[in-house]
Amino acid sequence: MTASNGIIDPQKKNPDEMFIGWAPAPSVDRRFLLAALPAGLAASAGASWLIANELDDPGAGAWLTNATHQVTGVLANHPYPMIRLADPKAPFGMRTVLVVAQGKCTSDLTLSEVTGQIVKASGVLVQRKERQMLEVPLFLGDWLSVLDANVENAQALSAPETESLGQAQLAGTIMDSKCFFGVMKPSLGKTHKACASLCIRGGIPPSFWARTRDGRESVLLMTDAQGGPMPMDILPLVADPVTAQGEIVRVGDILQFRADPGDYQRI
Amino acid sequence: MGHQYKAVQWNGNKIAYDLYTVAAVGVFITVFMAIGLQTQASGHVADPVILLIRALGVTAFAMLTIILAIGPLARLSPRLLPVLYNRRHLGVTTFLVASAHFGLALVWYHSSGPLNPFVSLFISNPLYDSIPGFPFESLGFVAFLILFVMAATSHDFWLNNLSAPVWKALHMLVYPAYALLVMHIVLGALMTEKSMLYPVMTGGAFLMVSGLHLYAGLREWRADNGMKLFKAKGWIDICAPMDIPDMRAVIAPLPKGDRVAVFRYGDKISAVTNACRHQNGPLGEGRVIDGCITCPWHGWQYRPDDGISPPPFTEKIATYNVKIENDRVFVDPKPNPPGTRTSPAIISMEGTPSG
Repeated sequence: MTASNGIIDPQKKNPDEMFIGWAPAPSVDRRFLLAALPAGLAASAGASWLIANELDDPGAGAWLTNATHQVTGVLANHPYPMIRLADPKAPFGMRTVLVVAQGKCTSDLTLSEVTGQIVKASGVLVQRKERQMLEVPLFLGDWLSVLDANVENAQALSAPETESLGQAQLAGTIMDSKCFFGVMKPSLGKTHKACASLCIRGGIPPSFWARTRDGRESVLLMTDAQGGPMPMDILPLVADPVTAQGEIVRVGDILQFRADPGDYQRI
Repeated sequence: MGHQYKAVQWNGNKIAYDLYTVAAVGVFITVFMAIGLQTQASGHVADPVILLIRALGVTAFAMLTIILAIGPLARLSPRLLPVLYNRRHLGVTTFLVASAHFGLALVWYHSSGPLNPFVSLFISNPLYDSIPGFPFESLGFVAFLILFVMAATSHDFWLNNLSAPVWKALHMLVYPAYALLVMHIVLGALMTEKSMLYPVMTGGAFLMVSGLHLYAGLREWRADNGMKLFKAKGWIDICAPMDIPDMRAVIAPLPKGDRVAVFRYGDKISAVTNACRHQNGPLGEGRVIDGCITCPWHGWQYRPDDGISPPPFTEKIATYNVKIENDRVFVDPKPNPPGTRTSPAIISMEGTPSG
């Protein structure tokens, strides 16, 4: 039996020198390392550039944490916490600002005693195009005061005009409004599914995100078929492409998509 | 070699290795953040926390890919032995980067909600019955636990107290961990991002690691084929004495699946197990330095005639009886207990052997 017959002979390639960690490196290894180490750093930078440069567009929206935003209007708590402001420049003369708590536990906000009242609220603004949301602390005293004064169109803000726009079959994605409006970017896709599900479980309003035939973004506030808060049965479908048959209803300046969880199907 | 335990037995090469690792990781993450935070043509800017989570995840996966590739690559070229030398520190660094990825993702995506973050991790996506919908987070978590166990037991203290076979088996879990991480990426990021670059790079990394290991396995298999010729009982004919380069060895398979490293040092020939006591490094690919067989992986040393590390070290490996007859080297396939002194076979001046 010879070394070439079934016996590994590793010495042929490097008969003279061997790197040993506790000893000075042989000159052949030093020469190799002098070339390889800078090449390794360059490869690290190049690979990183390539990977980061290919990431999807993170999406629109902003979480304006460097300033406190104040709004004055009528507070509503159905189907989700929101404040309606008089805004002559906005469609239908009003602007609706959703209200969510810091973190993911909006359902812990206790607003029943101040619902329907004129309030002044301050918090962090989250904004995606014309849609706005105010992020506030859980303790009411930290962010909300009830005003004695009246505001313009208080009656319309308390009971906004409601108009059915008819039944529709929509295809799109169920998002948690807070992340989608700008707290997380990107807030789409499977990597965000668990977070979106947890947010909606915590009371953050779900939104239905679809694109119209001409490519425009359409975002509708999701409710059950009666216009109430969306039941938690919807959670497994969050962030997946879905289709649903439901009713589109305009409430003030907000479009709601009213359908029960059973009306949604994963595509 | 570890005659006493220290947290880390530093030397110049290890310090340089670790500094370089930190520099490479720093370069990767810095470039990733700088490019990822650039404003898109649409005017949109990514969330820096999510970007950092991604940068850390990609870094950890790339590091684990390198770690798994080093072993077979160092067998192909001894120039890569310096990369292999401190692989354990690279592994611990990989665990630290993976920890940062896991911790940030847990806080950012699963905390401050109505569920315990660890509960949320497993139930917020409940689609365990769907392959495309499968919660990729759980796969990453199991892989992270494996990396934790490996990092926690990486010290020689555990190697000695768990015994080498148990320690080795434990650390073979890196392969299931790598497979889990590939699936973590495939069922997570690859199902979210549109670019084809990511499946190509992930698949390429997986194929490279698999291919290198298959190639290494093929080499072993070829050696095992030769073993069929050694089924006969009794002494095994290895080669002619001068077929063994001076201060080097040839490696031969044995009937029971072990391998013997047969060293020539001057006019003497001795045989020891091919597996280093430290991390099963291939002793036969090392050389005799200062009178001791020196492992190519981490420089552990053993005297060729008795397989004992030189003082003050006390590690022992199995030796084999060896003889020369008719200008051929023969090895008794029955191993001696570790540390058993044997008589080296002497190559006579006339080529007539003794021993």
